[in-house]
Amino acid sequence: MPTYIEGIIILTCINSIAAMGVSLLTGFTGIFTLGNAAYMAIGAYTTAILTMKHNLHWLPSVILGGLLAMAIAYLIGIPTLKLMGDYFAIASIGLGETVRLIIENWEPVTRGARGFPGIDSFTTLPVALTFFIILTWITFNLIKSNYGRAFKACRDDYLAASLLGFNTAKYRILSLSISALYCGIAGGLFAGFMTFLQPTMFDLQKSTELTAVVVFGGLGSLSGTILGTTIITLIIELFRPISQYRMLIYGAALVLVMIFRPEGLMGEKEILSLIRGMGRRGEHGRPT
Amino acid sequence: MESLIQQIINGLSLGSVYALIAVGYSLVYSILLFSNFAHGGFLVTGGYICYYMLTLTNNNIWVAGALSLIGAGLSAIATERLAYKPIREKTNLTLYLLIASMGMSIVIENFWVIMAGGRFRALPPVIPTYPIRIGSITISFFDILVFLITIAFLTGLEFFLQRTRWGLAIRAAAYDLRVAGLMGVNVNKLISLVFFLAGLLAAVSGIFLSVRYTLYPQLGFITIKAFVAAVVGGLGSLRGAVIGSLILGTAEMLTAGFISSQLRDVVVFGALVVTLLFKPTGLLGKAISEKV
Amino acid sequence: MGGLLELNGVTKRFGGIVAVKELSIKVNEGELVGLIGPNGAGKTTVFNLITGLYPVDEGRIIFNGEEITPLKSYEIIRKGVARTFQNLRLFPRATALENVMTACQNHLRYSFLEACLHMGRWRRYESAIKDESMYYLEKMGLKERAFQRAGTLPYGHQRRLEIARALALKPKLLLLDEPAAGMNPEEVAELSELIVDIHREFKLTTMVIEHHMDLVVGVCPHVICMNFGEKIAEGTPNEVMNHPEVLRAYLGEEV
Repeated sequence: MPTYIEGIIILTCINSIAAMGVSLLTGFTGIFTLGNAAYMAIGAYTTAILTMKHNLHWLPSVILGGLLAMAIAYLIGIPTLKLMGDYFAIASIGLGETVRLIIENWEPVTRGARGFPGIDSFTTLPVALTFFIILTWITFNLIKSNYGRAFKACRDDYLAASLLGFNTAKYRILSLSISALYCGIAGGLFAGFMTFLQPTMFDLQKSTELTAVVVFGGLGSLSGTILGTTIITLIIELFRPISQYRMLIYGAALVLVMIFRPEGLMGEKEILSLIRGMGRRGEHGRPT
Repeated sequence: MESLIQQIINGLSLGSVYALIAVGYSLVYSILLFSNFAHGGFLVTGGYICYYMLTLTNNNIWVAGALSLIGAGLSAIATERLAYKPIREKTNLTLYLLIASMGMSIVIENFWVIMAGGRFRALPPVIPTYPIRIGSITISFFDILVFLITIAFLTGLEFFLQRTRWGLAIRAAAYDLRVAGLMGVNVNKLISLVFFLAGLLAAVSGIFLSVRYTLYPQLGFITIKAFVAAVVGGLGSLRGAVIGSLILGTAEMLTAGFISSQLRDVVVFGALVVTLLFKPTGLLGKAISEKV
Repeated sequence: MGGLLELNGVTKRFGGIVAVKELSIKVNEGELVGLIGPNGAGKTTVFNLITGLYPVDEGRIIFNGEEITPLKSYEIIRKGVARTFQNLRLFPRATALENVMTACQNHLRYSFLEACLHMGRWRRYESAIKDESMYYLEKMGLKERAFQRAGTLPYGHQRRLEIARALALKPKLLLLDEPAAGMNPEEVAELSELIVDIHREFKLTTMVIEHHMDLVVGVCPHVICMNFGEKIAEGTPNEVMNHPEVLRAYLGEEV
């Protein structure tokens, strides 16, 4: 079993992976979701069922969980991503609640509301870190590519994007699918960390939290997302003794950030480019 | 047959509670174009004020009810002034308002967790819930009462919107808030008024729900179903919100009565999915197109 | 021989209003065509119909020998149409360079896997996209502004940036919607020169919507005038300017 500190680091890694998925969707593609905890649930329960009932090794189980979440997101995305703005957010709440209800009521498979106990504890610190590092690297690569620019174009002005030849529907579905994959993998790792699953772990509150950390870190900043997740995870852990005030503070912080720094901690900048910023400014300031 | 009529009456009663929530939510949406997720908080606030006022006034439901309505309306104004006004003055991105409203919903919920504790509370029996018998049908007096009071409140709202100067201003603002501002309407006052109405209607539903179920800080989650009803009816359309609510409430009770009570929520979200797939603007919603 | 772009009897209605009525236009390859007409004549609607933003009610639009009437916007763009907007639609938070790069990647594509792993064609194509974008920025005199956010550029520069972005799509047909809107006379003169230059250098078939007649008259050898959704005159600038219908349309509204 991991120690307390190890536990916090593992949880930060898991939350960051899920939040990066939401960051890609909300921060870079501009699709506001309040249902991504559903994809975590799909990943978590798939992993639990495959490892416990079918004796599959945890690694393929986690990956299959992620892929299943991705496939479901793809199917859901085709009709629902035609909806713009708040409509998709409301649809995603509906989806999240539906997945939770299915898990609660499909007792023979998911063991229902009482929870799924006794999952192998496979998410050790090295496992969580490895997943985190690989997925972070891939996400940074992705946003610094033609796909990243396409996502941002869809976010900033979907009409202009389609008049630059982008099939915006395709990119929106792609973004949702990737975010579901990340959340699914995070869910699988979460199952191996907690060793016990319950449908209420993946409720609207969790979905809200995923979106909130992304906004808190700064929409359109991946390092902001990771920073935001780390801070929020630490706050939730540190304030655990005064748990009733914890949520109050968390909610108030969300409002205050929107009022005073709606662009989030990092704005749209990445930490590395901020550090490099000075040098670059000098370079391009030179007359040519 | 009897049980069918019974379930339909149950459904219309539940649907009218949804309608009270959905109309307020739609009203705010039609003016500010964002989903106010703190709307459930107004409902819970109304419920708790009523609960505490009943104990203070020796169970005088008239006084407690009136104070609850006013209190929830004021809490809605306060929410708008504290959390939304600074944001909408700075930006016209509704995303920030949406997130702030999520924050406020958490704040209000946990305010009541701290003030009242997380446990379930039953309102004293000030509103009659005894069964009445019409022929072979047994229905709860409460269901009839809920239905009638809802009609009274919604008629009052309709009268206010159609016949008064401020009602006209609200309808103009729903058409275009900026233009209404240019025409000399005091926009901040108007938004406060809209939030007051939304909070007031939410409090009525909060009292009903506290009697029907019990009162607890997370009771506000039920507003999700009213949001769904508003979407089914057409976001921003008040008539749509009422129709959507009645359909949803009836569908829910029929499912609970004849199929399985565990599936009642699935039916609600199923209705959402069907609406979004086939008529995303809802039954009475207006299509929005962008000028290029 | 057919033209590069042909509109045959195109009609568009909004509710009871006929925005474009049985419009037939032919634009030959390499032409520079001006589309003029008073406010509300339906000029922008024509562009929106060509680029698939509005469905066509009646008639056909043929581009490069192919019917494009039923296609979606992005498909039409990929066939080789690029446009700018009357009210700028840049990505204001992205830099000028990123704005142009976004358009460049349409012909320099690499796979999703290459993007995730930064392998294969990624490095080669990314630097090609960057070089090409800088080239278009330079053409439009915006090289020094490459790393500035598009939203912070002066208005005239934003207009030129939008043209640079449209050019980066390597179109066969360029549609400019009121490129001189909001510019002062000096900037308008500069822009007219630029439009002629682009047309010559890239051998690009171009259609310009303009409200100001002087720009069109000075620049476009082929002018079409619309009023109330109908074509009322077509020909050389001189012919159109002296056409009685055109005079009536313009004198009726402004002198």
